[in-house]
Amino acid sequence: MSIGSPQVRADAVAKVTGVARYAADHRPPGMLHARLVTSTIARGLITSIDASDASGLPGVRAVITHHDLAGELNPVQALVDGGHFHTAACPLAGPVIRHAGQIVALVVAETGEVAERAAHAVDVRYATGPAVLDLADTDPADDVEVARWEVGDRMPGGAVAVDEVYTTPAQHHHAIELYAVLAQWRGASLEVDVPTQWVQGEQRGLAAALGVPESAVRVRAPYVGGGFGGKAVVLWHTVLVAWAARRLAAPVRLFVTRQQCATVASFRPQSTHRVRLTATSGGRLLGYEHDVRAQTSRTDTVGLAGTAMTARLYATSRIRCRETVAPVDAPTPGFMRAPAEFGHAFALESAVDELAARLQVDPVALRLRNEPARDPVTRLPFGGRHLSQCLRLGAELFGWADRDPRPRSMSDAGELIGWGCAASLYPANGGGIVECRMTLDEDGRAVVEVAATDLGTGAATVLAQIAADAAGLDPGAVVVTLGDSVLPAGLMAAGSCTTGSAGSAVYRAGLLLRAALERGESAPVTVTARWVPRGMTPALHAAHRRGSRVQLGPVRDGRVLFAYGAQFAEVRVDPVTGMVRVPRVVGVFDAGRIVNPRTARAQLVGGITWGIGHAIMERTPIDRSRAAFSGTDLGACHVATHADVGQVRVEMLDIADPAVNPLGVKGVGEIGLVGTVAAVTNAVYHATGVRVRRLPVEPAVLVSAR
Amino acid sequence: MRAFQYTRARSLSEAVTAAAAGATPLAGGTTLVELLRAEIARPAHVVDLRWVGELREWDTAGEPARIGALTSMAALAADPLMAARFPAVVESLQLAASGQLRAMATIGGNLLQASRCPAFRDGRSPCNRRAPGSGCAARTGPAHDHAVRGTSTACVAPYPGDLAVALVAADAEIETRSPAGTRRIPAAALHRAPGATPEREHVLGRGELIAAVLVPGGPTARNAAFVKVRDRGSFAFALGSAAVGLEVSAGLVIAARVVLGSVATIPWRSHEAESVLVGERLTAGTARAAADAALAGTCGPRAEAARGAVTKACLTAASRAGVS
Repeated sequence: MSIGSPQVRADAVAKVTGVARYAADHRPPGMLHARLVTSTIARGLITSIDASDASGLPGVRAVITHHDLAGELNPVQALVDGGHFHTAACPLAGPVIRHAGQIVALVVAETGEVAERAAHAVDVRYATGPAVLDLADTDPADDVEVARWEVGDRMPGGAVAVDEVYTTPAQHHHAIELYAVLAQWRGASLEVDVPTQWVQGEQRGLAAALGVPESAVRVRAPYVGGGFGGKAVVLWHTVLVAWAARRLAAPVRLFVTRQQCATVASFRPQSTHRVRLTATSGGRLLGYEHDVRAQTSRTDTVGLAGTAMTARLYATSRIRCRETVAPVDAPTPGFMRAPAEFGHAFALESAVDELAARLQVDPVALRLRNEPARDPVTRLPFGGRHLSQCLRLGAELFGWADRDPRPRSMSDAGELIGWGCAASLYPANGGGIVECRMTLDEDGRAVVEVAATDLGTGAATVLAQIAADAAGLDPGAVVVTLGDSVLPAGLMAAGSCTTGSAGSAVYRAGLLLRAALERGESAPVTVTARWVPRGMTPALHAAHRRGSRVQLGPVRDGRVLFAYGAQFAEVRVDPVTGMVRVPRVVGVFDAGRIVNPRTARAQLVGGITWGIGHAIMERTPIDRSRAAFSGTDLGACHVATHADVGQVRVEMLDIADPAVNPLGVKGVGEIGLVGTVAAVTNAVYHATGVRVRRLPVEPAVLVSAR
Repeated sequence: MRAFQYTRARSLSEAVTAAAAGATPLAGGTTLVELLRAEIARPAHVVDLRWVGELREWDTAGEPARIGALTSMAALAADPLMAARFPAVVESLQLAASGQLRAMATIGGNLLQASRCPAFRDGRSPCNRRAPGSGCAARTGPAHDHAVRGTSTACVAPYPGDLAVALVAADAEIETRSPAGTRRIPAAALHRAPGATPEREHVLGRGELIAAVLVPGGPTARNAAFVKVRDRGSFAFALGSAAVGLEVSAGLVIAARVVLGSVATIPWRSHEAESVLVGERLTAGTARAAADAALAGTCGPRAEAARGAVTKACLTAASRAGVS
């Protein structure tokens, strides 16, 4: 069996030796270099653009502005409206500025250095209008409602209630690989190398905007240096570069700077969560109310309604949820690792910890006491649900029984020690229709092809393991080719479902190949398989045919399907300085069957690392007076370093869930983050007695409470 | 990046000549190259000091210890004599930047590092430090970015460095070379508070280069600690920092140095805190009283961070002075 073995990633050596070529590593002959110019104001109009200095520099080939683009590109749709784009609003469609850092010009030159110099020399003048970015500066009366639902008709009177507000900051993906594009035309055909999580969505979006047939556009992304949701959708600079390459009849390559990455793509919006829990004095939850506000842009209404997830964590008879978004002068927000789960779970799992403290019930016991037998929202049965097992095993591995429940009761060497825990869940999404081609050649090599993407997670390796077992081949004989729009239909790598969806198609292709060989067919043999997940409705089939994104959610086929986890964190807080360290975390996960324990563990450790970062440092500061992100480089936006991550122990229950897909896999990409944040902040409470309801924890908050 | 003339100096006098003619000195390049690419620095002429051997000489056994300006941060941080004689200086180096940057960056360059204020760094917001007369975007920006000592209406940017803070506490001197010859400046007098001219960050004249740092030994240099408060464990500028040096006799503090970092526009010596400590036993209470004196009348995340840093640095320095 190859499934279940901890195989090293197939591309590990290529990546660490620099052989793997990412989009920006390509350098075709005659290539021109592009750089972006972005707006210095948040709202208003461009009144003039003086590109004469820039254009006059030797080697500058074009300075492309809204004057050049007007009427050149077709209207398109944002992802949220069934299209493929980050936002429907092309930044160069006209003189309107919608947010700080909007693209106002694309400079193309013969060298990167000249392009960089020229980008600085473009003089843009504006008429500035009033702008708002921070959620705190918006009026809830102007919000757009994106979700409102309830279960049960009356909030039961409970002896104990928690009623608190939790807030999360704006954050950015900051993948190690910056946004970049190489576009080149061969006659009427376009080839684009771009780091994307969705090669065929990128293909369709480019074709639509540029007015060329989809068959004339090829998008390649064999290697992606981290996506985290930022690379899920078509970003406008990709279209601008393709347009420039056509006009200049030369390959054009763009690097987006680290600072610009924060404003030419999506981000994780600020959010506030008011959570109210009602319970009996014995700790049985009765009611759960959750009101959420988050930022969106003025052009696109993006609602990442996560209460549909968190409402499934505990047994309650009464649920009331409302989610709204406040349009602000921001880039359109979007997916970022566990987009609908991170903030919502932080809020709920903080509130549950507050409830435990008020009731003087152990937080693990409180969670176990409220394990639902059926989905509290629909009353449907769950698929595999082993949250209690995660909590029990995690508590045992962590040594939770030794915890003194009183805040500020544990210390060592002058530091306060706190232990906290939280539960996690993440939908076992079903994806959509995936096709796979598998060819056994005369050398005994099996080539697996599907237009899925490996974001650096090891997806290709995992798919090779599945293919090998299904076809009865040695995994070393399987080559997996992903990340090319000409391959059989694949999905956006998002929602932690590549292994489950592409894996199911690969599995089926492998079985077909095995059957062909057993029938006596001899190499070369090619088989094609098509995976249609259960629960596809006629409307979803129609969406698939249109080329829209299809993502089957966790409620399908009469069941409610989630992955679960429990995280336990230890923090050490210096009582003098307020600095928080996280020396150890234990995470136990029910993520279905584990195809590759090595790559799965890496995903879960990565998620926990993000969770630590989200808890104690990650935020993009906002300059409210200028409605702009303030400090968008990695000097200002801190992410966790090695020094911030102590011992992380990850255990996977490895229980297949056949209700999810034939392989029984649920996905590990995002759940590691979900509970970690509240586990850390709950531990901070236990260490210091200070309840942090606003992320990230700031040293000053813990010091001033001394 | 704009085109500039590049000169590789072979000697200190060549370097001084070029600098006197208006060239911007380049040492480790960890700040300047970044500023050149962002066109925040736009020199017409750059003089590269890295081949000037006499700037690389250092002697940490001598009195005072003499550290050539081109000594790398990493090399100095690894020197056992430095650790024994000047523990706060070594801590300030070990906690600064990242291992890669410390290997490239120099002692002299570190002292003159540019502001980390986002308005300065983004290259386009109003910033009197970068573009005199353009205004100060930071004043109305996040409080997180505001210094609380030494500010002016023109500039609120905190001085970001760590080493200078420890050197001021150690009574170090800066030896410079210029066409007029050699002079020594107290480390405490190197940086200028912004006032109306934030673009003038230090007192060095045209053509005047840092040649060496001189650190005298002594009780307050030896019984010293540097504490840096920040939100992550490595590779981050301080929210607030402090260097404290103590001389203790018969259980009483008889001399103290308290210097705050990242909370003022320059390394900020607090005579108020020092006078709280002198004549007292160093306890958690006096440490906190010193911190409160140093930060009296201030608030915000940087002030709170510095308060914690001063308190902890006092306690650590006291333990190094044998106070139990």
